[in-house]
Amino acid sequence: MDDDETPPLSAEESLDLIARQSERMRRELGASPARLLGVWAFAWLVGWGLVYLADSSHAKPLMPGWVAAIVVAVLFVAAIVYSIFYGTRVNRGIRGPSRLVGAMYGWSWMLSFGALTLVNLRVMAVGELAPSTISLLWSGTSLLVTGALYLAGGMLWQDKLQYGFGVWIIVCSGASVLVGVPGNFLVLCLAGGGGFLVAALVYYVRERRGRPLGARRR
Amino acid sequence: MTESGLPGLDPVIHAQARLRVTVALAGLRSDDQITFPRLQQLLEMTAGNLSTHLRKLEDAEYVQITKAHEHRTPVTLVRLTAKGRAAFEAYTQALHRLLDATGGS
Repeated sequence: MDDDETPPLSAEESLDLIARQSERMRRELGASPARLLGVWAFAWLVGWGLVYLADSSHAKPLMPGWVAAIVVAVLFVAAIVYSIFYGTRVNRGIRGPSRLVGAMYGWSWMLSFGALTLVNLRVMAVGELAPSTISLLWSGTSLLVTGALYLAGGMLWQDKLQYGFGVWIIVCSGASVLVGVPGNFLVLCLAGGGGFLVAALVYYVRERRGRPLGARRR
Repeated sequence: MTESGLPGLDPVIHAQARLRVTVALAGLRSDDQITFPRLQQLLEMTAGNLSTHLRKLEDAEYVQITKAHEHRTPVTLVRLTAKGRAAFEAYTQALHRLLDATGGS
């Protein structure tokens, strides 16, 4: 079929078509990471919520601490796998700077958290720390690195919402060490996980409403 | 070239299928390329139909088509040229002017 034979478009029809196709591109090229953030919100809210409720400082812990730790590990591994799947799916068939930046960003998470784990394990080994101090070490550093990586993401994609989310997570990092154990788990769950949930909802609402014409690039 | 039906509109872009191709390519960052199959999936067009329209856009120098090899597999990469991007922007501006002139919203 040669499209030149279809009746010519009116100006309104053309603009409508431009809006619809741009919207589809934005969605498919991952401009709206609502679902990805939703997966992480679930992992943080449920995982850290259980760790908080299982903490031995409660009169009646919900479950043994190690069970909660396994649940957190499983949820996080699942969320990481989904993130890798999401990143490669969004970038498939794309070549050039966006793909390179996306891959570098993904590896930044892997490298940062790999190094964070090594540093913390080493500090634990040489420091003879109390269990509560160890807990604060992990919640503080992991929130800090998470926040810093969202700041970087905000800069890379010129996305103020993502940058703002990074700021929020960094604030949580400070708060988590100030409130102590087990309050730090509540900060991870409600402020961290809740932050992911709010960010996911904001992106979702934006996606539904659609952005004005002309905002073509992600 | 066929008559576009509306005055002052670029006839290369002002046809439903080519407009969709142009919008899709304009949605990429300016130095990015997209493979033919992914573009086809984003547009839901047949390979033959998409090739025909890409050729017309290429003839106008709005689109650059590169054939490359990745792991010995041939891939066709498509990108909008600077000329194509400028033509698309001029086209959308012309649409807005037309609507303003006819008093449409």
